Amino acid sequence: MRELEQLREHLGAAMVGADTPLAAADQLCRACVEMLEVDGASVSVVHEGATRGTFGSSGELSRRIDEFQFTFGEGPCLDAVRHGSPVLVADLDAATEQRWPAFREAVVNEGVSAVFALPVAVTTSYVGALDLFRQSRGQLAEEQISGGLHAARLAALPLMDLMAADVNWDSAARGDDGWEQLASLERVEVYQATGMIVAALDVDPVEAVVRLRANAYARAMTASEIAFAIVERRLSLDGPDWRAGSGGGSGL
Amino acid sequence: MSPGREADISRAFVSMASSLAKGYDVVELLEELTTDCARLLDVATAGLLLADARGVLHLVAASSEATRMLEILQLQRQDGPCLDCYRTATPVSVDDLEDAADRWPVFVPAALAAGFASVHALPMRLRDSTLGALGLFGTHVGALNDDDLVLGQGLADVASVALLQDRAAADSAVVREQLQNALNSRVVLEQAKGVLAQLGNLQMDEAFAAMRGYARAHQLALSAVAQGIVARSLLAQTVLDHASARRTTR
Repeated sequence: MRELEQLREHLGAAMVGADTPLAAADQLCRACVEMLEVDGASVSVVHEGATRGTFGSSGELSRRIDEFQFTFGEGPCLDAVRHGSPVLVADLDAATEQRWPAFREAVVNEGVSAVFALPVAVTTSYVGALDLFRQSRGQLAEEQISGGLHAARLAALPLMDLMAADVNWDSAARGDDGWEQLASLERVEVYQATGMIVAALDVDPVEAVVRLRANAYARAMTASEIAFAIVERRLSLDGPDWRAGSGGGSGL
Repeated sequence: MSPGREADISRAFVSMASSLAKGYDVVELLEELTTDCARLLDVATAGLLLADARGVLHLVAASSEATRMLEILQLQRQDGPCLDCYRTATPVSVDDLEDAADRWPVFVPAALAAGFASVHALPMRLRDSTLGALGLFGTHVGALNDDDLVLGQGLADVASVALLQDRAAADSAVVREQLQNALNSRVVLEQAKGVLAQLGNLQMDEAFAAMRGYARAHQLALSAVAQGIVARSLLAQTVLDHASARRTTR
């Protein structure tokens, strides 16, 4: 249990200091390789309205492997997002493995024998996946799966920042521990404020939480603080900084 | 025990039992649990926290919408009697919060400032696992009497059973997934309150009342109504119109 606690702490700190959302995702992927006994990791985005594709990886090979899913339109990551549950493939080359024939052939040729795809959620929508690759066959250990699920939670942070088109990264919470950022987002007032933004701006809940976060950056507030201000009507949703393109950095 | 209170207690259990028998909406049932606790026990308010797969507590139901109350409950992610109760799977009673500032340096000052004087946390148990904690908050100093503790734990146990819709689930992954579903339903419920509050210029408790009124009148699950509002397959304006029509005919 102690080890899992340490693993969580390391993962939470993995993105600190990244100077772009992409760098944050890359750092998280590299932390997965270091700590979860896998050979490669990547984060992909699969969400309406966002550019689908690989976003962040532990290295060039992982990126290329991950991109096969988008080239062929099939793969464990896409299935993990579609069903909202992990897809764990301990032996890609097994004769019984009939799913994703094109993807499978391509990645096996690159020397990959096992793929573990863990969905990434923003509020209750699945917007992407964290993919872990191994050159050797075999299931992940219980603790590695737990660690992977933790990393997949954290991967939501750079994905949200990616979706906020013009986030002012200079004032973003990049110095904060990932768990603190998530704790600030997973609160009742944030959900309520998200609903208010859905109604005021006519956007879906994912877009709403992305804008909430971008506006929090711009005002140097936490997500929870800005949510309270919205719920208590101390902050109006009519201002220009809430309109298209996620507002955020301008006008303040 | 007064006959009136005894009848109230019976009604609370009968209502939960009949929900379990007929099929039910988890979030709605948990909401009723906290309301029953606040009404039947010698406490001012009650809140229910469930743990996610990481062991982090999330608020899923509260008898009061007061912002301060929600804050206090959410603080318990890091520090507080509900968190300790969850971790140790045993009740934690704090008869006088003034004496507990050393034990929970963040939680106690916040709870005192919000007007609370005592806290009693009861574990949500299911077989070998602990799912979360039920927090009972009093505005006066003092222990909860034994009858109240037994009754509170009884209500919490019924709700724990209700959380697992697949009764046969022995697999901890399945248990976690069902808990996650309950947590997700709560997220959507709060989002739907926000949608109604924004469009109808309502307070959050008014928005919740509008949604519950609509669900009951149309015999729909509260979660389904909330989901419809957020996904915009159910027009929020329809729910608001229904609520204002009810107000005028009353």
